[in-house]
Amino acid sequence: MQKKEQHCAFFSGYALLKILLLMKLTFILTVVFCIQVSASVHSQTVVSLTVKKMPLNKVFLEIERRTKYRFLFNNDLLPGERKVDLSVKDEEVTRVLDRLLSNTPLSYKLLEGDVIAITPRAGAVQQKIKVTGRVTNEKGEPVPGATVIEKGTKNGASTDNDGYFIINVDSAGSVLEISSIGFETQTLALGGQTQVNVLLKIAGKGKLDEVVVIGYGTTKKTSLTAAVSTLKGGDVAQKPVADLSNSLVGRVPGVIADQGSGEPGLDGSRIRIRGSSTTGNADPLLVVDGIPRSFAQLDPNSIESFTVLKDAAAVAPYGLAGANGVILVTTKKGKSGAPSLSYNGYMGYQNAARIPAMVNSYQYALLQNEGAKNSGLPNMPFSDNNIAEYKKTVDKAADADPDRYPNSRGLRDVLRRNAVLTYHNLELSGGTDKIRYYAALGYTSQQGQFATTWLKKYNADTRVDVKATNTTNVSLALNGYVVDQHYAGKVDQTAGDPNDMYGAANGGIMYQAFRTPPTSPIYYSNGLWGSYIGRSLVGYIYNSGYAFNENTQLLTTFSIEQQLPFVKGLSVKGVVSYDPYNTFSKIWRTPILSYSADFSTTPATYTPGYTEFSQPQLNESVSQNKAFTYQGYINYHNTFGQHDVTFLGVVESRNQKYWGLGAGRTAYPINIDELDQGGVAAGQISNGGSSSEQAQVGYLYRLSYSYAGRYLAEVAGRYDGHYYFAPGKQYAFFPAFSLGWNIGQERFMRNAAFVDRLKVRTSYGESGNLAGGAYQYLTGYGIYGNAAVFNGNPTTGVYENSQANPNITWERAKKFDIGVEGSLWRGLLTFEADYFHERRSNMLVTPNVIVPAEYGIGLPQVNGGVMSNQGIELSLGTSHTFHNGIRIDVNGNFTYAQNKLLQVYETNATYNNPNRRQTGRANGTQFGLKALGYFTTNDFTANGSLKPGIASIPDAPVQPGDLKYADLSGPAGKPDGIIDDNDQTVIGRPNGSPQMIFGLTPTIFYKGIDLNFLLQGAAQVTLPVGGSLVHPFDQQGSATELAYTDHWTPANPNALYPRIYSNQPDYDTRWSSWWLRNAAYLKLRNLELGYSFPNALVRRWGMQRLRAYIAGQNLWTWTPHMKETIDPEARSSNGQYYFQQRVFSFGLNVTF
Amino acid sequence: MNMIKTCGAVLLVTISLAGCKKSYLDIAPKNFLSDDAVWASTANADLFLNDIYNQLPDINNETEHLDQYTDNSDVGVLWMNGYAKVATAQITPSSLPTGPWDMWTWDKNYQKIRRCNLFIQKVAASQLPGDYKTQRIAEARFIRALLYHWIWMAYGGVPVIKDVLDNVTQGDSIYRPRNTERETFAFIDNELDTISKMLPPSYGAADFGRPTSGAALTLKGWCELYEASPLRNPGQDPNLWKAASATNKQVMQLGVYDLVSDFTQLFLAGDNNSIESVFARQYGPNHGSTIIGKEGPTMNAAVAEVSWGNFQPTQELVDEFSMSNGKAIADPGSGYDPQHPYDNREDRFYKTILYDGAPWRGFTISTRDGGNNSIDLGYASDKTHTGYYARKRLDSAMDPGSYFSGICYQNYMYFRYAEVLLSFAEAENEVNGPTADVLAAVDKVRTRGNLPGIAAAYGAVNQSQMRDIIRRERRVELCFEDKRWWDVLRWKIAEKMPDGSPGVLNRPEIGMVITGTTGNLTYTRTNVRNRIFLPKMFLMPIPQFALDQNPAMQKQSGGTDGWTNGQNPGY
Repeated sequence: MQKKEQHCAFFSGYALLKILLLMKLTFILTVVFCIQVSASVHSQTVVSLTVKKMPLNKVFLEIERRTKYRFLFNNDLLPGERKVDLSVKDEEVTRVLDRLLSNTPLSYKLLEGDVIAITPRAGAVQQKIKVTGRVTNEKGEPVPGATVIEKGTKNGASTDNDGYFIINVDSAGSVLEISSIGFETQTLALGGQTQVNVLLKIAGKGKLDEVVVIGYGTTKKTSLTAAVSTLKGGDVAQKPVADLSNSLVGRVPGVIADQGSGEPGLDGSRIRIRGSSTTGNADPLLVVDGIPRSFAQLDPNSIESFTVLKDAAAVAPYGLAGANGVILVTTKKGKSGAPSLSYNGYMGYQNAARIPAMVNSYQYALLQNEGAKNSGLPNMPFSDNNIAEYKKTVDKAADADPDRYPNSRGLRDVLRRNAVLTYHNLELSGGTDKIRYYAALGYTSQQGQFATTWLKKYNADTRVDVKATNTTNVSLALNGYVVDQHYAGKVDQTAGDPNDMYGAANGGIMYQAFRTPPTSPIYYSNGLWGSYIGRSLVGYIYNSGYAFNENTQLLTTFSIEQQLPFVKGLSVKGVVSYDPYNTFSKIWRTPILSYSADFSTTPATYTPGYTEFSQPQLNESVSQNKAFTYQGYINYHNTFGQHDVTFLGVVESRNQKYWGLGAGRTAYPINIDELDQGGVAAGQISNGGSSSEQAQVGYLYRLSYSYAGRYLAEVAGRYDGHYYFAPGKQYAFFPAFSLGWNIGQERFMRNAAFVDRLKVRTSYGESGNLAGGAYQYLTGYGIYGNAAVFNGNPTTGVYENSQANPNITWERAKKFDIGVEGSLWRGLLTFEADYFHERRSNMLVTPNVIVPAEYGIGLPQVNGGVMSNQGIELSLGTSHTFHNGIRIDVNGNFTYAQNKLLQVYETNATYNNPNRRQTGRANGTQFGLKALGYFTTNDFTANGSLKPGIASIPDAPVQPGDLKYADLSGPAGKPDGIIDDNDQTVIGRPNGSPQMIFGLTPTIFYKGIDLNFLLQGAAQVTLPVGGSLVHPFDQQGSATELAYTDHWTPANPNALYPRIYSNQPDYDTRWSSWWLRNAAYLKLRNLELGYSFPNALVRRWGMQRLRAYIAGQNLWTWTPHMKETIDPEARSSNGQYYFQQRVFSFGLNVTF
Repeated sequence: MNMIKTCGAVLLVTISLAGCKKSYLDIAPKNFLSDDAVWASTANADLFLNDIYNQLPDINNETEHLDQYTDNSDVGVLWMNGYAKVATAQITPSSLPTGPWDMWTWDKNYQKIRRCNLFIQKVAASQLPGDYKTQRIAEARFIRALLYHWIWMAYGGVPVIKDVLDNVTQGDSIYRPRNTERETFAFIDNELDTISKMLPPSYGAADFGRPTSGAALTLKGWCELYEASPLRNPGQDPNLWKAASATNKQVMQLGVYDLVSDFTQLFLAGDNNSIESVFARQYGPNHGSTIIGKEGPTMNAAVAEVSWGNFQPTQELVDEFSMSNGKAIADPGSGYDPQHPYDNREDRFYKTILYDGAPWRGFTISTRDGGNNSIDLGYASDKTHTGYYARKRLDSAMDPGSYFSGICYQNYMYFRYAEVLLSFAEAENEVNGPTADVLAAVDKVRTRGNLPGIAAAYGAVNQSQMRDIIRRERRVELCFEDKRWWDVLRWKIAEKMPDGSPGVLNRPEIGMVITGTTGNLTYTRTNVRNRIFLPKMFLMPIPQFALDQNPAMQKQSGGTDGWTNGQNPGY
């Protein structure tokens, strides 16, 4: 069993083959392009020229004018008196040069970028050119330890503490590349200079001319009138998280996210932009490279940037899909230059971050007996003798009998420690002015907290950008991945809520782990395993077969952009994307083996038994989803004096087609997991399939105007159509307007020299949100197989769907935003602050409370809900370099969003009771009884009945130590001495998304060392706790150690938990304030400490750059208000879920 | 340049694809049938009825049966409704037990009733053939009556809704007040009377599972018996007993039904739709049950707990089985030996109960101290808390590895002929005393169980003795068939007995502790747990959400049923 835990952390042959197959198409397309492009370049390398008595330098210039080549030469080196005659027609430039220089001491060298350097002829000692320079940051301070490389060579140097460097280059035309951690890499063409000054810009800083990706385009940060935040891909690339959606929390203002689980492949964050503004689907729209797609499984290293679009102006181009905000992801492109190959990778170890401690068997026995006594059971579950035996086992006494009296620990006996997380990435980038390419391969392997749960992911990315003509740009991008998820066969990975795959609903592993009491053997001392109530935890995890998902996604984008020569600044672009997504799943469930021990014999006999099935079962399913997107763009940008005009128009249509097939067999006579080998009788064969199609059309525009770069105005909008709705109601229009004022550039600000830039902006507009499902406008009858049995055979059934609502339509959001952003003291302080307000109307609500419970069918949803959401977000950044060279960057952000239901359906019972009214309160506000504490002996008369005047639940036989509730109201609106639903009141904030979230990301650089971490917190969120996490023996489960140590007894009257019973009665477990926790937290989400090896050393090893780092994820959590040790972000109230993981990793970044 | 032309062409294609034709968004759904299509043919309309049949309580897949609410069986575990809500009397309008498989869940029953109403309305209005309409509408009305009878038993009077509610056309009249208990009964009774004349007496195999005229009369007879019994007939109106007697007699006179000789096989798949089966939910491939996994004994010899042991018969039930001489164990001359309690019991005992020493699947059940299924009095496991498991209705031929695979195809009989005989006897005994008809009906059931007839066992008996004999017979014959709960309610013996002593659900449950070794065993009765039954519990509370959403019900106070704001007394 233990052997299975070691999975190979490196590429297997199979994996490579799969990647190669995936890349085959990419490769062929890339080659085709390269051939075509190189042909067109070739045609520009010939020259026709006739000159007489012309100096050499003039000849070079003439050739420059006629070809693509540029010359680099030092006039001092040229024999100035020499004049030449030349007459050539369509001759290769290289041949012409051969002839021209044949009798000179000169030679030439063809450099990248079509540069021809005229150099002294080889043969003599190669004369190196000494170049000196100084590297400084934007504030003029030196940058020590920066790397200076002569591009295309292994030649390099580092700056000293004052930022100075000396490098000997091959030619006056060499190009230097200057880089330093935390700064944007700079390239510098020497062009004959021997003394240079280099300004390095701090990476990721809002620079004045920073270009920001926005919807359907890009713009300059200074021209933005919308609320937009960005994050560089590099900031999160090497954090040890497999799912990219976990990277945004705490790093981007306006993003509220929580990670509810740690399960490989299902550990993604639930992301809410500016909180949640709807009772419906509140997920933001995800866009990768301009096409709506999920980014979560992309290779983290292939991400260039994230952009979060937040206000109406920013999301307007997305029309019906924009109201919940938009996250744009841009993947990397090739950079021109010599091929650059780099490796990034890490290896980490994961362990559950917070695990509830459970009782040992001795504690369990005592607690059970205490419960039985309190429950009035006439008999005790554990005799004194048994208790003593358990104590021996717990104490590891020499005469203990751990097989008969075990002390097992459901969670810890089966949770794998140090599960390995590995990531490798190889990246190749390069190109010329004409063609740039980028290619990357990524591999992620994540083991799970159970040996049978794991994930492997293979990413492949390629992109080719071609400048096909001077006015034509063509690009092809392919991002593909294969995700393989593996589970134990007992885990139904197709069922229900993915966050509940291990919970009770699916008979799950975590449910059993919490249930199995320590007195039940998980493993016997001989290594065999037992069971509890016919369910074996070990059997579930290791002996239940397997379930396997293999999902293959390809994101293909082809685009052509053409400048139209007849109008300046006008261009058109066409984009076609084709995203096929294929799934394959195979579930092989076998009889689950476990052993029963019979201690009446010596030695004990162990008898194997099987549960679940007597013969294996197999289910396989395949599906394909093909998404086609077509976009036609018209772009116009021109400047007329001080007036700057930009126009964008796009026609977009999307179409998706899905089909799925499934087949299954049961009663496998032999253990061969193939469909063909299963049982053949009726009832042992099953199959099914379905298909569907989706379509959407949108017409969008954006017109931006700026005057003198100071006054900015923009209108944008989209006319959108969607197939969800009734013909005639399929289209809607979503406009937005925004204004900006760059105060910093006004004349009157010239005296305020400390202001680098300062802008105020505001926006207002409408956007939409697609709610509900397709075809709600149609009356129809649903069909299903496997209805009632007649004559031994199941039949097909037809049932009435809910009523139709022919008027069903989109949610509409009216969004307002006002913000200010700026930079002071040359970047020492950057800031951005926004206030936002949104009113969401047309929310789909089910008016069931306006019909009686006897109505018998769900009413159609109507667009009747209204909700507001408002809040603020702030971000601050600072960067400072100390005299000793230490640089500290600190970025902080804070978001607060609070929504309020303005109109929902409520019964009179809640609406007329001010304590219970949902209208006017935040969506998801938790209502329940208000617990006052425990009953005390003072509450009872001598004969044990409650004193008059003390309110209680009718007929509840309460005793001291049971929960006492506040009598707040009654049917007549007044306290009535009876505790019932009328006494409910607000007891907690919404569960799930916190209303307040903040992050702090300090980064420290010193010479080759860099340190960064993310301290992230959340507040104003309430987590309910329940089930076996707080109620001992829930569903015949075990109990936590906390429940053992801190429950009510006469000696511990202020305990955390009430009196213990064999079965906690409803009057103690019912929904009340006692079972809610303030889940505010502060987490050290990640930390990374890196060291870049000195240049000289790295070069000797044949590399350009080498950085090693250690990193951690989820390192520390502080939840001052929760004693239960589950993660405050847990989406499971009973702890029966896949724990969030703490990761320690070691990684390398190498550039060759 | 060529390149420009190419680009232009691509752009044109893109834009023409993007700016698409008008019908681009008109995509037809593929998983719907239109209203017209459903009611256009008998084959399609049948599909709708198939779904209605599929809504019947799937009892053989239920974990907890109605007997676990009673003194027939323990619950297995304490968190189930039978203990957590019923035995501890923790029943409130916001938290009430819903019966096995939502048997009386308020909104779900009305969802099913709506389907019946819709079917009845649509088929009646359709162009389908007349004989089809008659037959299928009668089937739907039968199921509707069956659904109503469960909520009527549970809640008393309920809103009787016979039409399809529509908030658009009906306005506020969608809010229906509760009909009184008696009105609800009358509706069910009249419906079944009508339906019984529309339905055929029997079907060919292809239609097994559809209600017959006998099924309608049986349900009618049962409802009449319920209405005639002390709970609903405090005034002792003899006409109610007469009606019950007559209707059950009608079933007997149909000549369609008889008893199956083998009491074990009767409940298993081989005897599905036997001559004794009156109305049953059908099971088959892809629609099997897990009954043995949920209800079987937790251990087979020493092999793992493959079953959950959820039927845990009480000592009280065990005591009700007669001796093989036909006498109850308490009767003088019964020969019952408390230290050999399982010797010389009637045949049904061995076919109903697994006890210490009982054979099971080639092993021997041992509930004695230290045995493989040693009694667990502390509720620390699933093992029996009473010293017994159920044997009845469990197919010992099933392979333990398949207990949860759903390949058990035995039907669940809502009604079988033995009950008709006992219902007739009970009603007729109240009307005319222990007549020969009464004796014959009870003896028919007893003698299948190889018991001597009543006269042979007891000689002449009076009406009161006969009542006790019938009640005991009913409890033994019908245990684990979800009958006992309704019986102890209608006999009004749950809270207190007629003599004022604590009722059967208001006293401690008893189990049997067995110590010692074979040949030298000691049998000790022990209290297992307490049970509380409050007077209000004869009716379930109307769920709070149902009251909150129906102003017409909220206005109902007082009246014959003593409601307060639509709620039953005591809640």
